[in-house]
Amino acid sequence: MTAVGITTSGVSKRLGRTQALDGVSLEFAAGGLNGLIGPDGAGKTTLMRILAGLLRPDQGSVAFSAGGRKVPFAEVRPTMAYMPQRPSLYPDLSVAEHLEFFRDLYGLAPEVYAPRAAELLSVTRLEPFRDRRASQLSGGMYKKLGLMCCLLQSPTALLLDEPTNGVDPISRREFWDLLYRLASRRVLIVISTAYMDEAERCSKVHLLDDGRVLSSGEPAALLAAEGAAGFHELFLRRADARRP
Amino acid sequence: MKGVLLAFLRKEFAQALRDPRMRALLFIMPVVQMAVFGYAISTEIRGIRLAAFHEPGDARARHLADRFFASGWFVPVPDRGLEPFALIQSGKADAVLVAPAKGLTRASGRGEAEVQLLVEATNAAKARAVEAYARSILAAVFPQPSGGGIALDVRVLYNPAMESSVFMVPGVMGMIVTLVTIVLTSMSLAREKESGTFETIIAAPLSVGEILLGKTVPFVLLGLADCVLVLLAGSLLFDVPSRGPLWMLALASAVFVVTTVSAGTLISTISRNQQQAMLGSFIFLFPANLLSGIMFPVENMPAAVRWVAYLDPLKYFVTLVRAVMLKGGDPWVFASNVAVLAAMAVLMASLSFARFRRTLE
Repeated sequence: MTAVGITTSGVSKRLGRTQALDGVSLEFAAGGLNGLIGPDGAGKTTLMRILAGLLRPDQGSVAFSAGGRKVPFAEVRPTMAYMPQRPSLYPDLSVAEHLEFFRDLYGLAPEVYAPRAAELLSVTRLEPFRDRRASQLSGGMYKKLGLMCCLLQSPTALLLDEPTNGVDPISRREFWDLLYRLASRRVLIVISTAYMDEAERCSKVHLLDDGRVLSSGEPAALLAAEGAAGFHELFLRRADARRP
Repeated sequence: MKGVLLAFLRKEFAQALRDPRMRALLFIMPVVQMAVFGYAISTEIRGIRLAAFHEPGDARARHLADRFFASGWFVPVPDRGLEPFALIQSGKADAVLVAPAKGLTRASGRGEAEVQLLVEATNAAKARAVEAYARSILAAVFPQPSGGGIALDVRVLYNPAMESSVFMVPGVMGMIVTLVTIVLTSMSLAREKESGTFETIIAAPLSVGEILLGKTVPFVLLGLADCVLVLLAGSLLFDVPSRGPLWMLALASAVFVVTTVSAGTLISTISRNQQQAMLGSFIFLFPANLLSGIMFPVENMPAAVRWVAYLDPLKYFVTLVRAVMLKGGDPWVFASNVAVLAAMAVLMASLSFARFRRTLE
């Protein structure tokens, strides 16, 4: 699998009156979990949408690479999967129907689809709920179905916008185990989260606050440099500093 | 391409056919509306309550009154001892036929026959119809001597009984098909935008053409199924003849459904949610129905309004269906109207294509 990389340089985006992103320069590389960490309203979703090509930056640019070579977005797009933060599955379709819909969208051959769907259903433990409609799934199951639809085409880049938001702790752990497995296959994974404890599970974190990058690097090194015990502390300190 | 289309076909059919409300909208509402509108929207007037005043021995006047009641348009009401005018005033009769005081038999013997017809005209359309029926009966009972005058020999073509259902049903068919396809198409894309699934679809590796075809072809097929349903209901319930070839009807319906689905898609590219799509659909549907010539002839409209009517796809479809079903399908009428519809379809589809954004901006 060709390793995909994304580099943003000076990306700014205004949404209405809010400056959602302000000069964001980041690098995302394959083979690890890239965490986009920040409180609500930090600009995580806006950045995700820009990476997925759903929004265009007002200023700055996004560059893509495949196997170390610079490539246009159109070349990465077909194997890029994006899971939006808000509910984006069809409430009236069942788990199996979702898989079939995305199978046909991606044009997967039956011999590719059958083993992969079976594997995903067993890993996510959604097999017993094949015929359940998305509207009747629990929060965790819903997110896992969303992830399954993304993974069906075995993407080279995976953009997950707050996939564990509102999911119970056990399901969250299962979710992360799934992601580790993918990361080891050299898939580029960008995951955003407002849960600070999840930041420590990433191989690289990018801290975002108020549309700006605070810092970016390995979680342990970052915390050591800041002299903080955890990411909660880091963000709380910042919030305090901003208070008059 | 084929796979994507298949994916959307399966998904849209599953969604449309699973929801009981949607099933009702697709398959029950058209038949019910066909039945209701076919009977209700009628320009014919029957059951006009007529009181006839004449002397007991006046054979000619009685003969005339009998002809009125035998026509099927009039039903007799007793005079209840009231004066002719009072009968109308009190609402007990719609029309009163009054023979001359000394008897119609004697009056016509003297060559000065005159019968009076009082008509309640608070509803002008109804009154005109009553008058026209009365004239036609009078002309049949007392043929005018055609000495030097011109005798008018009227022949009513294609709809000899002047049944309004024969004329209305093709119009109602067009109305129903327009309603279902426009609402269904515009709401479907708007629902995806509202529920967030739109984000998934535009992020998927699909071209704009694939997404648009995927979101429209299922509704073209459902619209065609409705055409068949409504046509069957029309011919079974109202005996509307189908004199023209079936392929003409099929081709006209296919082109029309593509046109309305394109219009629905265009509406959905402008709307952000289902409410806006619904509003947009109705802004389109009302003028489309009123200016289509289903109820009011386009020729009678003021010039400015007539020009708007020429932009109404429903007008061309109704013209087509009437021309094919009632008149047998004149090739020129058929070709020109189909061509206009096709041009509209191409225009609206191109506009939708140009307006469709694969971004969330």
